[in-house]
Amino acid sequence: MSRIPLAFRAFFAILFQGILSDKLKRDLGLAPSPVRPAAPAAPPPPNPAHALQLLAILQRDSRLVDFLMEDIASFDDDQIGAAVRSLHDQARDSLARYLSLQPVIDGVEGAYTRPATADPAAVKFIGNVPATKPEGGTLRHKGWRAAKVELPALNAKQDATIIAPAEIEIE
Amino acid sequence: MEPRYVIGIDLGTTNSALSYVENRPGADPFALPKVELLGIPQLVNPSEMRDENLLPSFLYIPGATDFPAGSIALPWDPQPETVVGRLAQKRGIENAGRLVSSAKSWLSHGGVDRTAPILPFRAPEGVPKYSPVEASRRYLDHLRHAWDSQMPDAPFTQQHVLVTVPASFDAVARDLTLKAAEQAGYQNITLLEEPQAAFYAWIERHPDWRERVTVGDLILVVDIGGGTTDFTLIAVTEQSGELSLERVAVGEHILLGGDNIDLALARLVADQLAQQGTKIDNFQLQALWNNCRTAKEKLLEPGNKKDEAPVTILGKGTGVVGGSIKAKLQRADLERLLSDGFLPAVSSNDMPARQRRAGLQELGLPYAADAAMTRHLARFLRQQASTAEHGGVRRGPSGLACPTHILFNGGVLNAGLIRERILGVLNSWLAEESLPPVQQLSGEDLMHAVSRGAAYYGLARRGRGVRIRGGVPRTYYVAIESAMPSVPGFATPLKALTVVAFGMEEGTDLRIPNREFGLVVGEPAEFRFFTSAVRKNDQPGDLIEDFGDDLEELAPMEVDLPAEQNTADVVPVSFETVVTETGMLQLWCVARDGRRWKLEFNVRERVAA
Repeated sequence: MSRIPLAFRAFFAILFQGILSDKLKRDLGLAPSPVRPAAPAAPPPPNPAHALQLLAILQRDSRLVDFLMEDIASFDDDQIGAAVRSLHDQARDSLARYLSLQPVIDGVEGAYTRPATADPAAVKFIGNVPATKPEGGTLRHKGWRAAKVELPALNAKQDATIIAPAEIEIE
Repeated sequence: MEPRYVIGIDLGTTNSALSYVENRPGADPFALPKVELLGIPQLVNPSEMRDENLLPSFLYIPGATDFPAGSIALPWDPQPETVVGRLAQKRGIENAGRLVSSAKSWLSHGGVDRTAPILPFRAPEGVPKYSPVEASRRYLDHLRHAWDSQMPDAPFTQQHVLVTVPASFDAVARDLTLKAAEQAGYQNITLLEEPQAAFYAWIERHPDWRERVTVGDLILVVDIGGGTTDFTLIAVTEQSGELSLERVAVGEHILLGGDNIDLALARLVADQLAQQGTKIDNFQLQALWNNCRTAKEKLLEPGNKKDEAPVTILGKGTGVVGGSIKAKLQRADLERLLSDGFLPAVSSNDMPARQRRAGLQELGLPYAADAAMTRHLARFLRQQASTAEHGGVRRGPSGLACPTHILFNGGVLNAGLIRERILGVLNSWLAEESLPPVQQLSGEDLMHAVSRGAAYYGLARRGRGVRIRGGVPRTYYVAIESAMPSVPGFATPLKALTVVAFGMEEGTDLRIPNREFGLVVGEPAEFRFFTSAVRKNDQPGDLIEDFGDDLEELAPMEVDLPAEQNTADVVPVSFETVVTETGMLQLWCVARDGRRWKLEFNVRERVAA
């Protein structure tokens, strides 16, 4: 299975649900994480309209939803590559426009790092994790943080569940 | 009251921009004025306003099914009738029948009534239409509101505003641009030629410019925008011991630009696809056109050594991968198209194919008949040769005008390869004249230079910085019909009376000697009006007979003497020419007793005729 759709699925699962489903974890080849620390005070429930809005933007600018929903098993890599190349550029542009994405730890992957925080939501220790909180370790993944979210104001009159309108051409 | 800011507006064919600079009367005259770009708030998607550096010059006329209710509201207009800017451009690709584009080219098109609602040109029945003047008014109106929303403390109408026009715009097109600005609520407007503005931007960036050029130098400004190509020559002269600049020539209006290159590339790729059995429709061609522009820019980036760039057209339906059409733009094709089509290495005697001038004007814009920009440049430099001496134009032995420096402007010329080709061709001409190669004046920010330069010039008019002297860039004539019986099938031979000489300076007026006309009171009198960019030595009052192809007819001028009591039916008048401080050309009829009537352009009449 192509890695790109999988990466997108994981990205959106984290973005919208904050958690990976068991199926996704199996697809990703991740062992279920041993102990989940209890969630702190419950965050306010996300406004589903904003999640849908971001999807709608990514679909509008880069056709991302079309791509994720398409069964691409039968296409050869060449064909997928050609489509993804242009889709990827545009999706990245839109992400950069509406979210300012920054690494959680701005370090070099593979280098020894001491995290400034032990918040399990921001830093996850993996591997031979000792019983007490470790000082640091090898930075494997820098993480991502949305430093700024600047989504356009929602039009209250508009049906937020429409992610992309149907298109009818008059010939 | 002194305005707080000077505002420069580049009203472009495909993109407009606004720059501004603070006007501080007491400031050190040698301190560098700081010119800034205004972020222009505009709809980029339905319900989404964003500030962008450019306002795409597109007007979309929405129908009931185009946008969700309330999604095109602007901060200054809850229910706009039309959409301007990025969203208009985007939506127009999907529904071209409601999109007005290139309004500026229509503004300079003498074959149509430019004040009549004719755009979108191919709109389906029932879609409201707008005149080229009205479309331009809407862009200017948007810019005024954009300013007021960004600079609430300095109302737009209290600032000094400069609007740029192509140097090749004739008196009618300039007049219409001014009208559009006035109708958009502008006050305090000055028009400025774009290539001059680009040169001012260079001066603004190079305070030591006096050390970079010397007396006798000739600077060629090559301005290639999305839809037009414009040439101007500026001579470096000396006046009372100081370096001074004089605009000595402007080219004809050439409707040929970067969009033509991109479309030619798209057609080329579409042909290659067709040979492989893949047909694409009009909508996909639009997408391909856009992708070819991006691919061209990538291939022409400095350091890019790739042989090809992908120009994939994504599938139209939900099957984005399955439906996508893979195509590639080959570097070899791009280079061949540039070297054979748009920038061929021609000799300086090679003239472009003549524009068809049929009796019945073909509908649509009069695009250049010859796509070779280098041939248009050859003609421009040759044309300067065909006139007698005009101060400051440096020439080679063959009479070709030979620039010492070149300044590039316009987004197309961001590409090094294109600049090098133009330099290569020009230098080969100079070598034939046994002259050294031309030096390039390094332009920066080719997309915004015009508006920046306009703002700088506004300050120059207020005493800070240098001013280019230019005057009227063309010669103008009024036709006088010969006293000969008309013969069926032959037009009555015309004589042309020179009313404005080339180079007539701003802020001057002149009575045309030795010519009086009897004007009938109470009915409009019409004069056919002609211009020439080639004949530079005709003096006011000269009567020209055999002008061949040198003269180009403009919209007629009209004057209506109101009937008054106690006056004769026929009033003898002579012409007086005025060039206002802001560069606008006016013709007046003056009676012997000093009464004056202004002649107005009549852009309607000619179409009906």
